[in-house]
Amino acid sequence: MKTFEEKWTAWLDDQLSGRERAEFEASLLDRAAAEAERAAAKKLGALLRRELGTHDLANEEFFSHQLRERIARETHLPIRERDVEVSPWWTVGRLLWTGTASLAVFSVFMIFVVHDRNPVEQSQYLTQILNARVDPVVSPNASISMFEAKDDRVTVLWTEGLQSLPADYAAK
Amino acid sequence: MQTEATPAQADVSESDLVKRCQAGDTEAFDELVTRYRTRIFGMIYNMVHSEQDAWDLAQDSFVKAWRSIKRFRRTSSFYTWIYRIVMNVTIDWLRKKHVKGGGAEFDDSVPLREIDAAAKTTPKVAALPHETMQRDEIRLRIENAIAQLSPEHRAVILMKEIEQMQYHEIAATLGCSIGTVMSRLFYARKKLQNLLRDVYENL
Repeated sequence: MKTFEEKWTAWLDDQLSGRERAEFEASLLDRAAAEAERAAAKKLGALLRRELGTHDLANEEFFSHQLRERIARETHLPIRERDVEVSPWWTVGRLLWTGTASLAVFSVFMIFVVHDRNPVEQSQYLTQILNARVDPVVSPNASISMFEAKDDRVTVLWTEGLQSLPADYAAK
Repeated sequence: MQTEATPAQADVSESDLVKRCQAGDTEAFDELVTRYRTRIFGMIYNMVHSEQDAWDLAQDSFVKAWRSIKRFRRTSSFYTWIYRIVMNVTIDWLRKKHVKGGGAEFDDSVPLREIDAAAKTTPKVAALPHETMQRDEIRLRIENAIAQLSPEHRAVILMKEIEQMQYHEIAATLGCSIGTVMSRLFYARKKLQNLLRDVYENL
């Protein structure tokens, strides 16, 4: 169903079929005014065509020269630079590669760095001794030193000036 | 839509030129530019009413066409295709510039013509001074009237009256329905008739 505006425009441009045209013209309240309006629209079209139809491009050759220069610059841009212009967001492939690489780096870090910081079987006695409270009244000059040889899996705990060991440790 | 060459010549050579462009041949693109630059510049000028802006927008349109020529499927003529790019670029530019209707352009303090860097220095035809002045005034009245239309209405009336395009061609170019084109034409004509009645009635 065409609106009035659409029918009017088609009527002005002689685009209505015979039956449509007859129906539309019959629906007009003031046929004479409509015809005058149509004539005015045609005059307007003729005026626009006459006055705006031609507008020369000055310096045509310079226009083409400037365009050639721009295109040449674009053509010789590094591929990576052009990609950035065309695709400002990362592609799915690039995201996948980045994710995989990040996961690999994290795994290496976990295996070689964090893992080595947890020496096996070292902490049992050491923690007990170091955590044991040394009574400063009983053992005022007590000192505890530790020597460790990781390759040989040996840890030597050197204590001096201790009057007594903590009871729970001595029991072991 | 009008073309400059005869249809047969244009179809064959244009198709060949487009194929070469798609293979990266800049000389072929240069040939297409030479063929259509004046018409495209003229159309943009009628939309923006500034030679320098029309020049820049025409340049941008051709650059954009070059960038996307490989995606052109040749289902329409090259001119129809690039015309769509031109209209998109120009309407987008007008929207960004916030060109709106208003009475300011009818202000007598606005100079009739500004000397433009891209303007020709010598007139093509030596018209009588009073004829030239009258012609300039009429043209300025028309440009001011068109400047009061929205970018979309401007595009539709110019495509219909100057380019003499069919409704479906305009709709395809602007990416809207034929009904929308007809409706826009209705309001654009009404407004221009109101603004220019004394001009076209006295000719």
